[in-house]
Amino acid sequence: MSALIIDDIAVSRGAGPVIQGVSFRLEQGRVTALVGPNGAGKTSLLDGISGVAPISAGTIRIDGTPIEKLSRVARAKQGIVHIEQGRAVFPSLTVRENLSLTARTPAEIDAALARFPELEKRIDAPTALLSGGEQQMVVLARAFAARPRFLLIDEMSLGLAPVVFMRLLPIVSEIAEQGVGVLLVEQFTHLALGLAEEALVVASGQVSFQGPAATLREDASLLHRAYLGGAAA
Amino acid sequence: MLQGALAGLAAGGLYAVLAVCLTLMSRLVRVVNFSQAATGMFGGFVAVWLVTETGLPIWLGSVLGVLLAGVLSGVIGWIAATWLSEADTTTRSAMTVGPLLLLISLSFILFGNKPQPFASIISGPAFTVGGVVISQVTLVTVSLAIVVAVAVRILLTRTAIGTRLRALSERPTTAELLGIPSKPLSIAVWVVTGVISAIAIVVVAPTQSNDAISLAMLIVPAAAAALLGGFKRLDLAVVGGLVLGVLSGLVAQIDEVSLIRNFLPFLFIVVLLLWTQRKEVWDAAR
Ligand SMILES: Nc1ncnc2c1ncn2[C@@H]1O[C@H](COP(=O)(O)OP(=O)(O)OP(=O)(O)O)[C@@H](O)[C@H]1O
Ligand SMILES: [Mg+2]
Repeated sequence: MSALIIDDIAVSRGAGPVIQGVSFRLEQGRVTALVGPNGAGKTSLLDGISGVAPISAGTIRIDGTPIEKLSRVARAKQGIVHIEQGRAVFPSLTVRENLSLTARTPAEIDAALARFPELEKRIDAPTALLSGGEQQMVVLARAFAARPRFLLIDEMSLGLAPVVFMRLLPIVSEIAEQGVGVLLVEQFTHLALGLAEEALVVASGQVSFQGPAATLREDASLLHRAYLGGAAA
Repeated sequence: MLQGALAGLAAGGLYAVLAVCLTLMSRLVRVVNFSQAATGMFGGFVAVWLVTETGLPIWLGSVLGVLLAGVLSGVIGWIAATWLSEADTTTRSAMTVGPLLLLISLSFILFGNKPQPFASIISGPAFTVGGVVISQVTLVTVSLAIVVAVAVRILLTRTAIGTRLRALSERPTTAELLGIPSKPLSIAVWVVTGVISAIAIVVVAPTQSNDAISLAMLIVPAAAAALLGGFKRLDLAVVGGLVLGVLSGLVAQIDEVSLIRNFLPFLFIVVLLLWTQRKEVWDAAR
């Protein structure tokens, strides 16, 4: 099992650094919840890892190999899949076409769809016509078909009804059980912490807590202080 | 009269091919490529030079010229993909004015400002219907326009590479995050459209005004034709090109209005813009 090792990275946006001195390890086969207040820099951190935004300091390695200088495309080929905030479907492409972008064979499309029976009757519909929840299913299925080693998920719950989100969450666990290292950014802190083994709190661009998810789950005041940027662990 | 309209059809086919290429570029690589005709013109001039100065056979010179046009277009695409990959369509389009002017000046320097002695690859009548002659050039350009539009449509909707191209055009960043190589794919689009435009230009140039400016400025009627399809629809781009060609063939026949021939594409553009904006214009007037 390999690990994605983030070492002391900084991400700058326009005015200045929005992420600074962030280090952590993402282990394959585990879910790490990444939580923090709005504007803390969660999306920027994922962008830095996947190459959407350049990092201005630090290193990113998979096992021993540095990847921070690679393009987005090359990082994707290294097994990093980034699900962006919002519904990252290609609207004019059908469900099948969306999946064919990452699946190597029709059998892989079927395997990815097996988790989402509700998509099967819409398989040849343009994804623009699907509901928000269905679109997010397409995005998850497409990511699954890419056979990632590391999966970065940014606010899957955004704009979804809670029941729909609850339907999708277990799939994240299943994906991790297949040996994928998942970094789950989520506003629904309690749900994310309930699912994850590890937790990471980012406040004002820095890590303010790092440790077992259970620790945060059981200590509300610790979570509160971490959100305010206080408790480093 | 009919003969005049049909004479315009050869040019119309050329406009249509260029309009299809422009539409494709706009959809797939977010650019209105003002140098679309200029790269074809330059390739054509080099082909003429190769044939007249080095004695290459016409077909070989033409093939080399067309390939050169593809390479030139690819280089411009490489610039866009390397330095302007995150830039908006306006900036990327403005950039292509640079190579347009550069290629015109370069061809003045290298080949002078006279029309070039293009040797015809294809000539003569193809067939006659009801006393009206259809030339082979007309047949070839019109067929080329239709074949290219149909082939592109099949490529985009039926093939894996087409799906990737559409994904890239809709959400470039997301496509890259899935490992779709945007740079090689978009440069390939530039090369292919450069080659197709050059083929059409080399076929039609012997029968048209073929100085550097006339050929490079074919971009104007092509853009007018592409506008009919909103730079999105390939079928309407073909129709626009053919209609514009026939109209200018007709206008050239009628002495009283033959002068407006040169302004026809502009008129076409203005009318189209007024038509598509009519709601806003009327609302504003009220
Ligand atoms: N493209 C950008 N240009 C300039 N500043 C940006 C850009 N994107 C984000 N920022 C700034 O960077 C900081 C971190 O934003 P980021 O989107 O990473 O936070 P976040 O934790 O994902 O927030 P949210 O929970 O609202 O999604 C914010 O102050 C934001 O204003
Ligand atoms: Mg965010």
